[in-house]
Amino acid sequence: MPRRINIAVAQINCRVGHKKRNIDLMKKHAKQAKEKGADLVVFPELSLTGYLTRDLTYNLAEKIPGPSVDSLEQVAEKENLHMVFGMLEHSDKARGVIYNTAVLLGPKGFVGKYRKLQLPTHSVFEEKRYFRPGYQLPVFETDIGRLGLTICYDMFFPEISRLLRLKGAQLIICISASPAVRRKFFEVFTAARAIENTVFLAYANLVGIEDGLQFWGGSRIVAPSGHIIAQAKYDEEDLVTGEVDYSDLKRIETFVPTLRDLRPEFFDSLKTHTEDL
Amino acid sequence: MLKLKTEVLQLDSATTEARITRFITDYIEKSEATGVVLNISGGVDSCTTAALSSLALGGSKVLGIFLPEEETYDTDDTKHTKMVAEKFGFSLETIDISSVLEVCYHSLPVYEERDKVSKGNLKARMRMVFLYYYANRLNRIVCGSSDKSETMIGYFTKWGDVAADISPLMDLYKTQVRQLALHIGIPEEIARKPSTPRLWPGQLAEHELGIKYETLDLILFGLERFMTPEEIAEQLKLPVKRVEEVKRKWLATEHKRRGPLTAKLAYRTVGADFRIPYTTQ
Repeated sequence: MPRRINIAVAQINCRVGHKKRNIDLMKKHAKQAKEKGADLVVFPELSLTGYLTRDLTYNLAEKIPGPSVDSLEQVAEKENLHMVFGMLEHSDKARGVIYNTAVLLGPKGFVGKYRKLQLPTHSVFEEKRYFRPGYQLPVFETDIGRLGLTICYDMFFPEISRLLRLKGAQLIICISASPAVRRKFFEVFTAARAIENTVFLAYANLVGIEDGLQFWGGSRIVAPSGHIIAQAKYDEEDLVTGEVDYSDLKRIETFVPTLRDLRPEFFDSLKTHTEDL
Repeated sequence: MLKLKTEVLQLDSATTEARITRFITDYIEKSEATGVVLNISGGVDSCTTAALSSLALGGSKVLGIFLPEEETYDTDDTKHTKMVAEKFGFSLETIDISSVLEVCYHSLPVYEERDKVSKGNLKARMRMVFLYYYANRLNRIVCGSSDKSETMIGYFTKWGDVAADISPLMDLYKTQVRQLALHIGIPEEIARKPSTPRLWPGQLAEHELGIKYETLDLILFGLERFMTPEEIAEQLKLPVKRVEEVKRKWLATEHKRRGPLTAKLAYRTVGADFRIPYTTQ
């Protein structure tokens, strides 16, 4: 397990429904990330297809592994880095069952996937219309550390990041398609989830406009202290890199001992009160 | 509770300008159009839209078409359209539509001179016809300039002034459009001049609506955020009936803001459960 890794967050302007174009864009940015010394490059939510695919969703979804994952595996292998990106995944068993999924690839191929747990269905968001929520929250033991994956609206639910941390994640990755009107929320959440869990957090957000919805970019890498290690520009394509030193975790865990001070008895109460809401 | 004060309508004008210009540029690029045409009337909404389009695309890709007619002709409007076109560097064309309207009036067996609403709507729709002709000829899109206040209460002509391919200002209340106008350099005499649809002589929006935009915008802002008429009335020290009237106008005019209502008969239905994103193929 390395002590230090270099992370790139790549905020790209995807074209809705144009997988080949978006794969080419990810290839270009993966190469750029490698040139900057990255061990891992993180792309936004649904970066393979664009976010607001609406009824195109059913025909754009693929199995995992599948043709697009195969193409991007070659990129990860060629550039000798890990990659996280987002895609529409359909179930092996039912073609109409679709997930909003984050995929983790390594230089040796497919590592794992995470299906979004919290599907926003309010305001301009209509994810429950199209997606089935995931039921698992894995932590992946990799050559670049123990990684937990989350997707966008998951950030609003602190228990998700908390569980990843309790399962041993050192780095939480959040891929996102957050519109500009929600920028302030995510600027707070990304720092809060890192601080409250004493964990590193890499956040990659879309840029560009889909159906009048503008995504704000602002991708970032956050230290467990809340310090912003690297931050991409607002509103335009950008790629930034930052170094994460896992040995910092011990120091921070001591200074802000939230894990030491966890009180499991409240979690039972939380469950009861959530059921009674 | 949310406080309905002028401050809630305070705009971050620089950010708003950036978002709107990006929105216009992005749409033009994806639609592969060569620019925009828009109806410029000399009012704050259309002058601001034209100026923002020009800031986004460059003046050579923006054509403002001024479409006066004899009944509502106003020398200030002429002066203001020229002023903004010169300042923001876009092309301006003036076409007097009086004679075309005359032909229409005389071609309509049911035409009634005293029915000023039907006549006024004909003017707004005629302007739309001219705009779309230019858009077709020039491979451009029509850029609308409707604001949120007028759109929410249905103070527009269905398929008329609101007809457009994009509407960059439609999520801004009138008082916010005025702030944005001043921010981008629209002269004060335009930004603050009383609004009028120019559908008949002497028509002024606030007079016709019976309410100042400063008050209307706060009522709509409250309704947008699910406040009840009682809560809004109490805060603004207005009769509840006044707020309910605005709410009624808002809800009763939903048909003007949508495509035609479709009878659901088949598997997937246009206007109901076809949900296709705007995208290039």
